[in-house]
Amino acid sequence: MSVRSVVRTFSELCVTVGALIILFVVYFLFWTGVKAADAAEGEIDTLRREWAREPVAAAPPPPSPASSASAEPPAPAPYRDGKPFATMRIPRLGSGWEWPVLENTEVSTLQKGLGHYSGTARPGDTGNFAVAGHRRTYGDPFKDFPKLRPGDAVVVNDGTTWFTYRIAKRPHRTVPTDTAVVAPVPRGSGFEGAGRYLTLTTCEPEWGSSHRLVAWAHLDATRPVSEGEPPELAG
Amino acid sequence: MYGWIWRHLPGNAWVRSIIALVLVLAVVYALFQYVFPWAEPLLPFGDVTVDGASAGGAGVGQ
Repeated sequence: MSVRSVVRTFSELCVTVGALIILFVVYFLFWTGVKAADAAEGEIDTLRREWAREPVAAAPPPPSPASSASAEPPAPAPYRDGKPFATMRIPRLGSGWEWPVLENTEVSTLQKGLGHYSGTARPGDTGNFAVAGHRRTYGDPFKDFPKLRPGDAVVVNDGTTWFTYRIAKRPHRTVPTDTAVVAPVPRGSGFEGAGRYLTLTTCEPEWGSSHRLVAWAHLDATRPVSEGEPPELAG
Repeated sequence: MYGWIWRHLPGNAWVRSIIALVLVLAVVYALFQYVFPWAEPLLPFGDVTVDGASAGGAGVGQ
Protein backbone atom coordinates (compact mmCIF):
# COMPACT_ATOMS: atom_id res chain seq x y z
CA MET A 1 0.00 0.00 0.00
CA SER A 2 1.56 3.22 -1.11
CA VAL A 3 1.87 6.29 1.07
CA ARG A 4 -0.38 8.06 -1.38
CA SER A 5 -3.30 5.70 -0.86
CA VAL A 6 -2.89 5.84 2.93
CA VAL A 7 -3.01 9.61 2.86
CA ARG A 8 -5.97 9.57 0.53
CA THR A 9 -7.95 7.13 2.65
CA PHE A 10 -7.19 9.14 5.78
CA SER A 11 -8.36 12.35 4.11
CA GLU A 12 -11.54 10.69 2.97
CA LEU A 13 -12.21 9.47 6.49
CA CYS A 14 -11.73 12.98 7.86
CA VAL A 15 -14.12 14.42 5.30
CA THR A 16 -16.65 11.71 6.14
CA VAL A 17 -16.44 12.34 9.87
CA GLY A 18 -16.78 16.07 9.27
CA ALA A 19 -19.87 15.57 7.15
CA LEU A 20 -21.34 13.26 9.80
CA ILE A 21 -20.84 15.87 12.51
CA ILE A 22 -22.44 18.57 10.41
CA LEU A 23 -25.39 16.30 9.65
CA PHE A 24 -25.80 15.50 13.33
CA VAL A 25 -25.86 19.19 14.22
CA VAL A 26 -28.49 19.78 11.55
CA TYR A 27 -30.49 16.88 12.94
CA PHE A 28 -30.16 18.17 16.47
CA LEU A 29 -30.87 21.85 15.96
CA PHE A 30 -33.35 21.64 13.15
CA TRP A 31 -34.81 18.22 12.58
CA THR A 32 -35.75 17.47 16.19
CA GLY A 33 -37.75 20.71 16.14
CA VAL A 34 -39.59 19.64 13.01
CA LYS A 35 -40.33 16.25 14.53
CA ALA A 36 -41.47 17.73 17.84
CA ALA A 37 -43.73 20.33 16.22
CA ASP A 38 -45.32 17.61 14.16
CA ALA A 39 -45.71 15.25 17.12
CA ALA A 40 -47.07 17.95 19.43
CA GLU A 41 -49.60 19.02 16.85
CA GLY A 42 -50.67 15.40 16.46
CA GLU A 43 -51.04 14.97 20.22
CA ILE A 44 -53.11 18.14 20.52
CA ASP A 45 -55.31 17.00 17.64
CA THR A 46 -55.79 13.64 19.34
CA LEU A 47 -56.83 15.41 22.53
CA ARG A 48 -59.27 17.72 20.76
CA ARG A 49 -60.84 14.77 18.99
CA GLU A 50 -61.17 12.86 22.25
CA TRP A 51 -62.69 15.85 23.99
CA ALA A 52 -65.10 16.44 21.13
CA ARG A 53 -66.20 12.82 21.12
CA GLU A 54 -66.84 12.40 24.79
CA PRO A 55 -66.38 15.10 27.34
CA VAL A 56 -63.83 14.03 29.91
CA ALA A 57 -65.38 12.90 33.17
CA ALA A 58 -66.18 16.07 35.03
CA ALA A 59 -63.41 17.42 37.17
CA PRO A 60 -63.55 16.10 40.69
CA PRO A 61 -65.78 18.32 42.81
CA PRO A 62 -64.04 20.57 45.27
CA PRO A 63 -63.46 18.71 48.50
CA SER A 64 -66.21 19.52 50.92
CA PRO A 65 -65.41 19.25 54.58
CA ALA A 66 -68.81 17.70 55.20
CA SER A 67 -68.15 14.58 53.16
CA SER A 68 -67.03 11.71 55.28
CA ALA A 69 -64.14 9.45 54.40
CA SER A 70 -66.48 6.67 53.36
CA ALA A 71 -68.24 8.88 50.82
CA GLU A 72 -65.06 9.50 48.85
CA PRO A 73 -65.72 10.00 45.15
CA PRO A 74 -64.31 7.30 42.88
CA ALA A 75 -60.80 8.09 41.73
CA PRO A 76 -60.69 9.34 38.14
CA ALA A 77 -59.16 7.01 35.60
CA PRO A 78 -55.36 7.15 35.72
CA TYR A 79 -53.55 8.85 32.88
CA ARG A 80 -52.18 6.44 30.33
CA ASP A 81 -48.41 6.34 30.01
CA GLY A 82 -47.08 8.46 27.19
CA LYS A 83 -50.54 9.73 26.26
CA PRO A 84 -51.61 13.37 26.26
CA PHE A 85 -54.21 14.52 28.78
CA ALA A 86 -54.01 18.30 28.77
CA THR A 87 -52.65 21.29 26.91
CA MET A 88 -50.57 24.06 28.41
CA ARG A 89 -50.27 27.66 27.32
CA ILE A 90 -47.94 30.28 28.76
CA PRO A 91 -48.55 33.70 27.20
CA ARG A 92 -45.16 34.95 28.40
CA LEU A 93 -43.44 32.41 26.16
CA GLY A 94 -45.39 33.52 23.10
CA SER A 95 -49.01 33.91 22.07
CA GLY A 96 -48.79 30.78 19.94
CA TRP A 97 -47.04 28.79 22.63
CA GLU A 98 -49.15 25.71 23.18
CA TRP A 99 -47.87 22.25 24.06
CA PRO A 100 -49.55 18.99 24.98
CA VAL A 101 -48.87 17.55 28.42
CA LEU A 102 -48.23 13.80 28.34
CA GLU A 103 -48.08 11.31 31.13
CA ASN A 104 -44.59 10.41 32.41
CA THR A 105 -41.17 11.92 31.78
CA GLU A 106 -39.55 9.26 29.62
CA VAL A 107 -37.20 10.36 26.86
CA SER A 108 -39.66 9.38 24.14
CA THR A 109 -42.50 11.22 25.86
CA LEU A 110 -40.57 14.45 26.16
CA GLN A 111 -39.88 14.32 22.43
CA LYS A 112 -43.58 14.88 21.78
CA GLY A 113 -44.40 17.56 24.29
CA LEU A 114 -44.22 18.29 27.98
CA GLY A 115 -44.08 15.42 30.45
CA HIS A 116 -46.08 15.10 33.65
CA TYR A 117 -44.11 13.57 36.51
CA SER A 118 -46.17 10.47 37.14
CA GLY A 119 -47.11 10.28 40.76
CA THR A 120 -47.55 14.00 41.17
CA ALA A 121 -50.94 15.69 41.38
CA ARG A 122 -53.35 16.24 38.52
CA PRO A 123 -54.04 19.77 37.33
CA GLY A 124 -56.22 21.58 39.80
CA ASP A 125 -55.79 19.01 42.55
CA THR A 126 -54.26 19.62 45.93
CA GLY A 127 -50.60 18.80 45.66
CA ASN A 128 -48.06 19.57 43.01
CA PHE A 129 -48.78 19.24 39.31
CA ALA A 130 -45.18 18.82 38.09
CA VAL A 131 -44.23 19.09 34.43
CA ALA A 132 -40.88 18.79 32.64
CA GLY A 133 -39.95 20.08 29.20
CA HIS A 134 -37.00 20.50 26.88
CA ARG A 135 -35.09 23.75 27.06
CA ARG A 136 -33.35 23.14 23.75
CA THR A 137 -33.99 20.77 20.86
CA TYR A 138 -37.34 19.08 20.23
CA GLY A 139 -39.03 22.37 19.55
CA ASP A 140 -37.32 24.30 22.36
CA PRO A 141 -40.53 24.54 24.44
CA PHE A 142 -38.80 26.06 27.46
CA LYS A 143 -36.19 28.12 25.62
CA ASP A 144 -37.40 31.34 27.25
CA PHE A 145 -37.89 29.78 30.68
CA PRO A 146 -35.74 32.41 32.45
CA LYS A 147 -38.12 35.11 31.24
CA LEU A 148 -40.89 33.85 33.51
CA ARG A 149 -41.80 36.42 36.13
CA PRO A 150 -43.99 36.40 39.21
CA GLY A 151 -47.62 36.77 38.23
CA ASP A 152 -47.23 35.20 34.78
CA ALA A 153 -50.12 32.95 33.84
CA VAL A 154 -49.73 29.25 33.08
CA VAL A 155 -52.99 28.00 31.65
CA VAL A 156 -53.75 24.28 31.61
CA ASN A 157 -56.76 22.80 29.85
CA ASP A 158 -57.76 19.22 30.64
CA GLY A 159 -60.79 19.15 28.41
CA THR A 160 -63.31 20.28 31.01
CA THR A 161 -61.60 23.09 32.87
CA TRP A 162 -59.14 25.89 32.32
CA PHE A 163 -56.75 26.03 35.25
CA THR A 164 -54.92 29.33 35.52
CA TYR A 165 -51.79 29.14 37.63
CA ARG A 166 -49.68 32.16 38.59
CA ILE A 167 -45.90 32.01 38.74
CA ALA A 168 -44.82 32.71 42.30
CA LYS A 169 -41.21 33.74 41.87
CA ARG A 170 -38.42 33.94 39.35
CA PRO A 171 -37.03 30.63 38.09
CA HIS A 172 -34.95 28.85 40.67
CA ARG A 173 -31.70 27.07 39.85
CA THR A 174 -31.00 23.77 41.52
CA VAL A 175 -29.16 20.47 41.10
CA PRO A 176 -30.62 17.46 39.26
CA THR A 177 -30.97 15.40 42.43
CA ASP A 178 -33.11 17.98 44.20
CA THR A 179 -36.35 16.00 43.98
CA ALA A 180 -37.96 18.03 46.74
CA VAL A 181 -38.76 20.73 44.20
CA VAL A 182 -41.59 18.55 42.90
CA ALA A 183 -42.81 17.51 46.35
CA PRO A 184 -46.46 18.26 47.20
CA VAL A 185 -45.19 21.31 49.06
CA PRO A 186 -42.11 22.13 47.01
CA ARG A 187 -38.98 23.01 48.94
CA GLY A 188 -37.53 26.39 48.10
CA SER A 189 -40.74 27.71 46.60
CA GLY A 190 -41.76 29.73 49.62
CA PHE A 191 -45.12 27.95 49.69
CA GLU A 192 -46.22 26.85 53.12
CA GLY A 193 -48.75 24.14 53.76
CA ALA A 194 -50.74 22.09 51.32
CA GLY A 195 -52.08 23.85 48.26
CA ARG A 196 -52.71 23.52 44.56
CA TYR A 197 -49.31 24.05 43.04
CA LEU A 198 -47.63 23.66 39.70
CA THR A 199 -43.93 23.04 39.08
CA LEU A 200 -42.13 23.35 35.77
CA THR A 201 -38.63 21.93 35.32
CA THR A 202 -36.11 22.15 32.52
CA CYS A 203 -32.37 21.97 32.10
CA GLU A 204 -29.82 24.62 33.01
CA PRO A 205 -27.60 25.87 31.48
CA GLU A 206 -29.38 26.15 28.18
CA TRP A 207 -27.18 23.58 26.42
CA GLY A 208 -26.06 21.62 29.44
CA SER A 209 -27.37 19.37 32.12
CA SER A 210 -25.37 20.21 35.21
CA HIS A 211 -28.34 21.96 36.82
CA ARG A 212 -32.09 22.30 36.54
CA LEU A 213 -34.24 25.38 36.34
CA VAL A 214 -37.50 25.27 38.26
CA ALA A 215 -40.53 27.55 38.31
CA TRP A 216 -43.42 27.29 40.76
CA ALA A 217 -46.95 28.52 40.47
CA HIS A 218 -50.12 28.27 42.47
CA LEU A 219 -53.67 27.85 41.25
CA ASP A 220 -55.30 31.21 40.80
CA ALA A 221 -58.56 30.51 38.97
CA THR A 222 -60.54 27.79 37.29
CA ARG A 223 -63.08 28.17 34.54
CA PRO A 224 -65.24 25.59 32.80
CA VAL A 225 -64.24 25.09 29.19
CA SER A 226 -67.82 25.85 28.20
CA GLU A 227 -67.32 29.46 29.30
CA GLY A 228 -64.55 30.03 26.76
CA GLU A 229 -60.92 30.92 27.12
CA PRO A 230 -59.78 32.68 30.26
CA PRO A 231 -58.92 36.37 29.85
CA GLU A 232 -55.20 35.65 30.27
CA LEU A 233 -55.13 34.12 26.81
CA ALA A 234 -56.77 37.06 25.06
CA GLY A 235 -54.62 39.23 22.84
CA MET B 1 -12.64 4.56 -0.50
CA TYR B 2 -14.88 6.82 -2.57
CA GLY B 3 -12.78 6.13 -5.65
CA TRP B 4 -13.26 2.43 -5.11
CA ILE B 5 -17.05 2.86 -4.88
CA TRP B 6 -17.07 5.01 -7.98
CA ARG B 7 -15.11 2.44 -9.96
CA HIS B 8 -17.53 -0.29 -8.96
CA LEU B 9 -20.69 1.56 -9.96
CA PRO B 10 -22.12 0.44 -13.29
CA GLY B 11 -22.86 2.58 -16.29
CA ASN B 12 -21.42 5.77 -17.62
CA ALA B 13 -20.65 8.91 -15.63
CA TRP B 14 -24.27 10.10 -15.63
CA VAL B 15 -25.68 6.83 -14.38
CA ARG B 16 -22.96 6.62 -11.76
CA SER B 17 -23.70 10.16 -10.56
CA ILE B 18 -27.37 9.35 -10.15
CA ILE B 19 -26.66 6.11 -8.31
CA ALA B 20 -24.15 7.92 -6.10
CA LEU B 21 -26.73 10.58 -5.27
CA VAL B 22 -29.29 7.93 -4.38
CA LEU B 23 -26.74 6.19 -2.18
CA VAL B 24 -25.92 9.45 -0.38
CA LEU B 25 -29.61 10.15 0.21
CA ALA B 26 -30.13 6.63 1.52
CA VAL B 27 -27.26 7.05 3.96
CA VAL B 28 -28.60 10.42 5.17
CA TYR B 29 -32.07 8.93 5.58
CA ALA B 30 -30.70 6.02 7.61
CA LEU B 31 -28.73 8.42 9.78
CA PHE B 32 -31.71 10.69 10.51
CA GLN B 33 -34.15 7.86 10.96
CA TYR B 34 -32.15 5.36 12.96
CA VAL B 35 -28.62 6.37 13.92
CA PHE B 36 -29.12 9.90 15.25
CA PRO B 37 -32.26 9.12 17.29
CA TRP B 38 -30.26 6.34 18.90
CA ALA B 39 -27.21 8.51 19.56
CA GLU B 40 -29.13 11.56 20.71
CA PRO B 41 -30.06 10.43 24.27
CA LEU B 42 -26.35 9.87 24.92
CA LEU B 43 -25.97 13.65 24.92
CA PRO B 44 -27.09 15.64 27.93
CA PHE B 45 -29.61 18.03 26.37
CA GLY B 46 -32.56 15.80 27.20
CA ASP B 47 -32.04 15.90 30.95
CA VAL B 48 -34.82 18.14 32.05
CA THR B 49 -36.23 16.32 35.06
CA VAL B 50 -35.16 16.07 38.64
CA ASP B 51 -33.90 12.58 39.42
CA GLY B 52 -36.04 9.85 40.89
CA ALA B 53 -38.93 12.19 41.51
CA SER B 54 -41.27 9.35 40.71
CA ALA B 55 -41.17 5.75 39.68
CA GLY B 56 -41.20 6.78 36.05
CA GLY B 57 -38.82 9.68 36.45
CA ALA B 58 -36.49 8.62 33.70
CA GLY B 59 -34.70 10.64 31.11
CA VAL B 60 -31.92 11.54 33.47
CA GLY B 61 -28.63 10.33 34.70
CA GLN B 62 -26.78 10.16 31.42
